[in-house]
Amino acid sequence: MRSSLVRQVLILLALALAPGVGEAVYFRHRISWQSAVLPSELVTVDQARTWGGNVIWVDARPDEEFASDHVPGALSLNEDQWNELLPQFLAVWSPGKKVAVYCSSLSCNASREVARRLRREAQLPDVFVLEGGWEAWLKKNR
Amino acid sequence: MKTPIVAFALSIIISLSARAELKWEQTTVELHPTAADKQAVGHFKYQNPGKTPVHFKSVHASCGCTTAQTQKDEVPPGGSGEITATFNIGDRTGTQVKTVTVETDEATNQKTVLTLRTIIPQQLEINPTFVFWKQGEKPDPKAITVKVGKDFTVKHIKVTSSSPDFQTKVEEKGNGEFKIDVQPQETKNLIASTLTIQPEDSQKVFYATARITNSPVVQ
Repeated sequence: MRSSLVRQVLILLALALAPGVGEAVYFRHRISWQSAVLPSELVTVDQARTWGGNVIWVDARPDEEFASDHVPGALSLNEDQWNELLPQFLAVWSPGKKVAVYCSSLSCNASREVARRLRREAQLPDVFVLEGGWEAWLKKNR
Repeated sequence: MKTPIVAFALSIIISLSARAELKWEQTTVELHPTAADKQAVGHFKYQNPGKTPVHFKSVHASCGCTTAQTQKDEVPPGGSGEITATFNIGDRTGTQVKTVTVETDEATNQKTVLTLRTIIPQQLEINPTFVFWKQGEKPDPKAITVKVGKDFTVKHIKVTSSSPDFQTKVEEKGNGEFKIDVQPQETKNLIASTLTIQPEDSQKVFYATARITNSPVVQ
């Protein structure tokens, strides 16, 4: 009786394992929905506040959302118009300045992509993604 | 029945699959737009093999750069159609993965995630896209590397500086690689220049920035 139960449990586990293995093989090249961000590349609203005037806020949301409202003094830099907006950002950047990039919320990916391009393509140091994005900033400031 | 647990599990699996109504031809589409394309459009075809109509409750794209449209709100039994997802490429580069979440009133599988994978061809890869000198720093040349994308052939590139205060010199390294030396005439003034990089026989223009910055802020 007991061995039969164990055998049945093993069969069920094997049945469950088959689709799991299949998915792992089939989706092995799939890029995750959100590019991974190292904890050291994230900054909270409170941490960014302590940087005072030594931080450049970068708004990675689409133009219309930036036009509607944004962190005071923030610059718009999104991938829709990267080539046009990047020189405007670089015109105010200077060595020693920290950069805090945000998008709408915790689930959005635009800030991660903009931060990645600033680090990799422009080779800027101290570029951070704001944890929780614009929603987190609003909670702390409105 | 010797294995009642297995039979029970199998019957649940079979009954669940029988209840699923909207069948998608594919939930992942890979697109390969040309370098000149401004948009990439993916078509996700579906069919309703069930016996009751299926209604779309919502269709939601993962980012503002993607829009998704249904042809109709209701799919009758035996009916078919497609959801069209349009990805605005903008100035994005590389592989872009965007999703569209479709919510229906089906008994099971109410949410389906459709994935649009767009591989944007990159004619030139420029690294870095920004070179700078601190005010008062020795005005030595700084290098920008330009690599030609694997599906492209570029024999020459033309580099133009928007400011005469910065000189540029292009060196062909071979194997689809170029080196641009950028040098300011002096670093006393806070000046900047946009460097326009254009492959020969191409309308596509790439950019880099050169700038004299003020000195670091002392904390």
